[in-house]
Amino acid sequence: MILNKKTKFLKTLEFFPELSLFLALIILSGCGSENPTQQVKPPAEAVPVVPDRSAPVVNVSQVTEETRQTYQWYCTQCHGEKGHGNGVNAPHLVVPPRDHTKASYLETRSDEQLFEAIKLGGLAVGRAPCMPAWGNTFEDKTIHSLVSYIRELCDCEAL
Amino acid sequence: MRIGIGVLLLICMSVSPVWAEPEEIEKKGCRDCHRFSSEEKQPARGPDLFYAGDKFHENWLKEFLQSPKVIRKVGYITDPGFPSGNPEVSQPHSTLTHEESARVSTFLMTLHLPDYETGKVDDVPLSKGARAQAKMLFERNFGCIACHEALNLVGKVRGGVSGPTLVDSGLRLKPDWVFHWLKSPEKFLPRGRMPVFNLDDETAIRITKYVLSIRTKK
Ligand code: HEC
Ligand code: HEC
Ligand code: HEC
Repeated sequence: MILNKKTKFLKTLEFFPELSLFLALIILSGCGSENPTQQVKPPAEAVPVVPDRSAPVVNVSQVTEETRQTYQWYCTQCHGEKGHGNGVNAPHLVVPPRDHTKASYLETRSDEQLFEAIKLGGLAVGRAPCMPAWGNTFEDKTIHSLVSYIRELCDCEAL
Repeated sequence: MRIGIGVLLLICMSVSPVWAEPEEIEKKGCRDCHRFSSEEKQPARGPDLFYAGDKFHENWLKEFLQSPKVIRKVGYITDPGFPSGNPEVSQPHSTLTHEESARVSTFLMTLHLPDYETGKVDDVPLSKGARAQAKMLFERNFGCIACHEALNLVGKVRGGVSGPTLVDSGLRLKPDWVFHWLKSPEKFLPRGRMPVFNLDDETAIRITKYVLSIRTKK
């Protein structure tokens, strides 16, 4: 299941502990490191394992009570109860969780981009690794409805 | 000989066997917050204990019940104050005396899941390189640190607080339990707040070993 390329890369590291320490230092240590100014693009091969990476089917999904509860149960840990990006983990993260009420930013993102960020996680889409991948937790349908819910929170559409 | 057996029997009858539930559990209202069997109603206000024997090291339990440290800074996941970080259940945990704690811990260690597989994680520590790799998985690839406290290179606590702290978790959690938790959390908790990761065994073992090696220096 784990990607071969990554495994190879990591296997190399195993034989050169000093190199890996050095790498760990420069590649940044993910979120929660104490060097907030340093935001490094992750190497393409280090991407979390998520079942299928096929392009999502774009459909406008209904926001139901279940969608709101899902957001409340999982996403508020970082994005906050009202989606302002101020959840309990937020003060401890290097890159702040997105403010899901901020139209000026979310207008620049397509629904597909939001879908992929939720499904595959921040690292896989060139965003911060502190945004976890939810593709093994939810069905695509649920993720689509979360995208619609975020559109409701920002009261905005992709331009 | 006869008398000997009689005396033995008497002793056995007066001193209740270690696997019987000690009276503290009822008296202190542990069931108000914890489930001691998967049949009891949920959701509970505190973590489930019906697999405590699979999950904890006994010494940690004994110590925790006498002088608890906070593990979940924003409270248990079902606490109404969890999302805002102001748990309703007061912290730290209520305490037991030395003797009570010993009795309760002995009892808790007898609680197991049926068909629970042990021997998944050996006790060979990760090599320096493998540990650095596992640390990267923990901090970057899977972003575990966004929700869990760990230690940085100079031993300072850092990381999120929505999940239980993983600092010194090696003193607390059994390796096989962490492995099973990472592989199939639904065996223990039907709906937690942690994402499901779908790790292969080898990766799960590495991360387990890394997590349990996050240790403060004494
Ligand atoms: C562990 C913390 C954490 C949790 C939990 C979390 N997020 Fe995030 N999320 C982040 C961070 C940090 C970012 C910012 C990433 C960046 O800007 O590089 C983010 C960014 C996003 C983005 C914007 C991506 C973009 O294109 O800029 C979306 C959408 C999102 N999260 C949705 C969700 C949803 C839906 C959930 C719940 C299922 C969720 N997040 C749970 C931390 C989290
Ligand atoms: C008012 C509710 C409440 C009562 C009563 C209570 N507990 Fe707890 N218990 C909790 C909460 C909440 C936690 C989580 C504490 C933390 O994470 O710091 C906890 C944690 C624990 C843990 C550690 C479990 C883990 O997964 O970390 C044990 C063991 C435990 N309690 C045993 C007991 C026993 C034995 C009693 C009775 C003597 C008892 N508790 C009474 C709420 C309660
Ligand atoms: C979005 C936040 C989040 C992320 C990301 C996350 N966890 Fe968790 N974790 C939790 C929460 C919350 C719990 C408590 C149980 C639950 O609700 O699922 C937990 C429970 C645990 C436990 C059991 C601790 C105990 O005492 O019961 C371990 C071990 C653990 N996580 C390890 C990890 C590892 C390793 C990763 C990365 C592969 C990770 N977690 C990623 C939030 C998270």
